Amino acid sequence: MIAGAKAPDAGPLPRVRPHATTRTAGGPEEPAPARPTLARPDPFVARLEHVSARISDPAAKLRFLRESLAQKEALDERVQAVPVAPVRHLLQRLLGLDRIQHLLHRRDLQGTAADVAGPATARVSGVAALALVLALAAVAWSLRTAPAPAVVPAPGTAVVPAAAPGSPAPATVPPTQGVRPERIWLVEKSATHELWSNGLRIDTSLVVMGAPRAFRVFDRGRGLQPEVFTEPVGILFHTSESDVWPLDAGFNENLRDSTQRLLRYLRRNTTYHYLIDRFGRVWRVVDEGSKANHAGNSVWADGERVFLNLNHAFLAVSFETRWEGGRALPITEAQFAAGRLLTDQLRQRHDIPPQMAVAHGLASVNPKKRLIGHHVDWARGFPFAAFGLDNAYRVPSPAVELFGFGYDDEFLRVMQEPWPGVRLAEAKLAREAAAAGLTPEALRRQRQELYDAWIADQVRADEARTPVAEDTAPGAGATED
Amino acid sequence: MANDHLWKVAQEAEERINELAATSHPLGVDVGTSKIVAARRQGKELQTASQLNAFIPVPYSKFTEKTLTQNAISYYKDGDELVIFGTATEHFANMFNAEFRRPMADGLLNSKERLGWPVIEAILQMMIPKARAKDEVLAFSVPAASDGRNSALTYHEATFRGYFQSLGYNAIAINEGLAVIFAELESENFTGIGISCGGGMCNVALSFLSIPSILFSIAKGGDFIDQAVGTVVNEHATRVKMMKEESLDLSKAPKDKLEKALHIYYQDLVEELVGSLRRAISRAEKLPKADRPLPIVLAGGTAKPKGFREMFERTLRAEPMPIEVSEVKLAADPLTATARGALIAAMYEK
Repeated sequence: MIAGAKAPDAGPLPRVRPHATTRTAGGPEEPAPARPTLARPDPFVARLEHVSARISDPAAKLRFLRESLAQKEALDERVQAVPVAPVRHLLQRLLGLDRIQHLLHRRDLQGTAADVAGPATARVSGVAALALVLALAAVAWSLRTAPAPAVVPAPGTAVVPAAAPGSPAPATVPPTQGVRPERIWLVEKSATHELWSNGLRIDTSLVVMGAPRAFRVFDRGRGLQPEVFTEPVGILFHTSESDVWPLDAGFNENLRDSTQRLLRYLRRNTTYHYLIDRFGRVWRVVDEGSKANHAGNSVWADGERVFLNLNHAFLAVSFETRWEGGRALPITEAQFAAGRLLTDQLRQRHDIPPQMAVAHGLASVNPKKRLIGHHVDWARGFPFAAFGLDNAYRVPSPAVELFGFGYDDEFLRVMQEPWPGVRLAEAKLAREAAAAGLTPEALRRQRQELYDAWIADQVRADEARTPVAEDTAPGAGATED
Repeated sequence: MANDHLWKVAQEAEERINELAATSHPLGVDVGTSKIVAARRQGKELQTASQLNAFIPVPYSKFTEKTLTQNAISYYKDGDELVIFGTATEHFANMFNAEFRRPMADGLLNSKERLGWPVIEAILQMMIPKARAKDEVLAFSVPAASDGRNSALTYHEATFRGYFQSLGYNAIAINEGLAVIFAELESENFTGIGISCGGGMCNVALSFLSIPSILFSIAKGGDFIDQAVGTVVNEHATRVKMMKEESLDLSKAPKDKLEKALHIYYQDLVEELVGSLRRAISRAEKLPKADRPLPIVLAGGTAKPKGFREMFERTLRAEPMPIEVSEVKLAADPLTATARGALIAAMYEK
């Protein structure tokens, strides 16, 4: 069926040298690029190219290059698991991984996986992490050129299952290929479960009712608006802060029991609307028409709309994992996949825009101390891009920008540095202060007073329309999450 | 020590590919707006075949059907029409002085064309055999994602994947620009820029050691040139295409109105292509610094006319680039480069 044909050989071709940096009239809108400079060849890349040049078959060459890079990826994933950033960076430098990051975790032939998510971020915890740090540091030099070491996870260590060699996507990113329904609909419903057309299966056997959802929205310029809403406008992602057992058959009982204990606690306290357990099962804990006690004192904004204390306005989705060592322990591949399906389903059903699905850690505040980051779950490391969401870490922090909140040494001890949105909000605040002829501190105080006034408005409005008021007062008013 | 390890990986890769060459039959398919091209390796030999991705319906009559059958023209009956498809279409379009129709537009399945998918299926049936063994790999080209076309791309890709899977293949999609790099920049260890200038669009990939760093496409290609020229010279696009492929030389001054229009619209396409490339590189956040100047390779039917490479080079030279370019070259066989690259990807995936 395929007729024989051989490609003609191309003759030698002239070489094009870089051009002068002068520009012609009417050139493109982009600024003139700086004259390109060449980097020094990386030793590993140079060796790779040297060996590769000796392979004559193109398919064998491609296989060689990608398998060599896969081994580096495996090593990089283990280094990424080190929870202490300075040690992690040191190891990356020692192992030469920092110089080849652009070549790692991007082997998808369509070039999409790397765009939707960065490298797999397996993290380890506690003693196991320390042991890993020491072991890695001790052998760093000897590992520089060797294939990836086999690091056996210690008990108490949580890891994302590794991808098979040659896997086209990073370990935590399930394949994005295949047909997806244009719309998501309910396929099947029983007393204990729901099946949705995107593959999402929700266990509804444990669902409890809470107080009905009802909330008001603030307008940046006009303050509290009279209209009462009953439909959720956003999603807040949480970590359950519960026990995290290794994904190993030997811990089967612990894995099962700890999830069941957690579910009992969440039902009793109507904490989250959804829990995604370690095996990727999605549990509806609190009925969607009810508020859940998940957000406490919290602030978020979308354009002109400002939301204070998000228990009512936002749906709560919690991953069974724990914040430790300045980041959430890694969720499992199954949790990752289920989280994406649930997010898609909730966003479609409630018409939630991508900028309104955020992490609890980015919204949580301490109103008495005027501080952000009262809770820090997912204040770093949530895979927004892979979930099809805007990167909330780069959104100017509404609590800082609108209400002049700050952070203290404890926050820095945990986070090391604020997420980029905090810096952006601080810069905006400083610009506005300068424009108003105020010091940044004076403007902050003004904005903090505005927060107090708005909260008071919200409490008054809700008291007049009980029973919504229970979680609106600063501090004591907001139900603990 | 380090080299010992890398040599071992290299040796294993070569052994694996040799084994595959003897035991399996991977296929590479370029699903282009203008042409569908298939490539496979038979021992050490590379084989390619292509069909025009076009069709023309003619009114049914027994006489016409008999003529088509006698001349081994590919067709099928659709109601009161005979649908002629594949390479023979061009000949019939000229004979009837009519425009042929495309099952695809701008690199993707043409949603406005009722006969689009049935025609593609008919063309693929002529070209792609059923898989001989379980999990035989077939890699097919897809354009780069672009704003506003992602859902159409998902549908396009899933439709083709489903078809190839129904033939028993393990079907994988490969970016068209990256396939050009696999086919043409092997001597550079798959480092450089691959550009596929097809009928519906131009696809661009920049890769380092086979890892793509930039992928984008522009929705302009040969069909845009044919239609734009056809409009200004009052000719059918089909006829413009034929004249373009037969005699166009972009390195010489145009000698009539048609050639002048072809020069103008080719220049327009090249300027947009080079401008987009410059912007994409300038805006890339994580683009690594290259340790050597990068080559650019041009492929696809639209890059074939004499003088195209020089026109591209001149345009590139007119403005500074944010990276150093070592050379601009034309693919050894521009029409089959994407399919050959897809074949390499299929062998790698096996």
